[in-house]
Amino acid sequence: MSMNDLIATIKKVLEEVDVVLGWTRSPAAGVAVPARFHTPDEADGAIFDSTCTHNLAVHLPRLKNSKVGIVAKGCDARSIVQLIVEGEVSRDRIRVIGVPCPGVIDVKRAWRCFGFGKKIEDAGGRVHMEGRSMPREEILLHKCHQCQDQEPVIMDLAAGDVKSVTPPPPPDKTGIRERFAAMSIAERREFWREQFSRCIRCYACREACPLCFCRDACSMQTREPHWTGGQVNAIESEMAQQVRTSHLAGRCTGCEECERACPVGIPLMLLLEEQNRIVEELFAYRAGMSLEDKTPLLTYDVNRDGGWR
Amino acid sequence: MPKTEVKIIGFLCNWCSYAGADMAGTARMKQPASLRVVRLPCTGRVNPLLVLKAFREGADGVLVSGCHPGDCHYNEGNYYARRRMEVLERMLPALGIDPARFHYTWVSASEGAKWADVVNEFTRRVKQVI
Repeated sequence: MSMNDLIATIKKVLEEVDVVLGWTRSPAAGVAVPARFHTPDEADGAIFDSTCTHNLAVHLPRLKNSKVGIVAKGCDARSIVQLIVEGEVSRDRIRVIGVPCPGVIDVKRAWRCFGFGKKIEDAGGRVHMEGRSMPREEILLHKCHQCQDQEPVIMDLAAGDVKSVTPPPPPDKTGIRERFAAMSIAERREFWREQFSRCIRCYACREACPLCFCRDACSMQTREPHWTGGQVNAIESEMAQQVRTSHLAGRCTGCEECERACPVGIPLMLLLEEQNRIVEELFAYRAGMSLEDKTPLLTYDVNRDGGWR
Repeated sequence: MPKTEVKIIGFLCNWCSYAGADMAGTARMKQPASLRVVRLPCTGRVNPLLVLKAFREGADGVLVSGCHPGDCHYNEGNYYARRRMEVLERMLPALGIDPARFHYTWVSASEGAKWADVVNEFTRRVKQVI
């Protein structure tokens, strides 16, 4: 896919929608940032590369009154489908532009290696930063290592050939998943206590999550019901995250936005990945795969349920 | 060294398990004093967060019990509960909570003896892992 394909597709979609959600390059940070394109002139700044990590579906519930075009990677498309299934977004108000995604990189990790604000460019399977470079697959987000959905499940137009994407690279070697899996239950208790002692309760995890759309009524913050207090300590923060995790049971598409947005780097996906695995195991269900789906915890099946033990 | 006294929170449905527990009481069946009962209209009311919050507030064990599937007073409440409790039970190890401290089961209003067994067995199990 060339950028011209993308820009031309956005311009075409702009003829029938009010705004297109996409990415542009931030001159200051050197990486992609989300952008809203209202006019064809604005659309000339559109880009798509492996720094386009954001899941733009998060903006859809906030744009209920306009017709919206959205540039979507395979994983973002699953979030869009889930939003439609839950009635938060209406199918006929949106136009989805699918892009062939080579996997997106962990920008924070790249900045840690190369310095904040360095311009990051992606060419020939390598990520380049001011003369230095490293193979893209060494710095991909974890979700990209196990990606099964490179072709968007919902799509009106494609910018480029979404089928001709590279296969998912081998699993990453950061090791936190292996370490967590090997821990005893008591060690995990300590692990979470330590992790959540760093939580500053900024709710970035919730704001970045496309499916946390309750906004003012979020149970992580409400006084009634009072599931958790607002104090910034490990116990309250852990409970707050348990609230969020359980509310995403059978709904989370695994887009990893919560973990990416977390400013103190709490590995929230350890909980959500485990929950998604359990939901798939019990109900043979992955969220956001089809518009006909029903969220498994909002239904039941008399004939199939209960054989679990 | 097993703890001698444990505190178990029981979330019981009004129509079956609560009546079953009542029956076990009136029949003077021997059961440990470890259980604190919260009476709910239906297990469909049991938000998994109630269980997690009970653990956070210091419960040693949490027991959820309702009508047998198919016998719900509201026809389908325990079908929903069954899915939620199953996901919750399997999530507990990842959250750092021993799944042996949680149990969900079905006890009808006529099963006083079964109720006593459930409480005895679960208390024994919780004492072992606490």
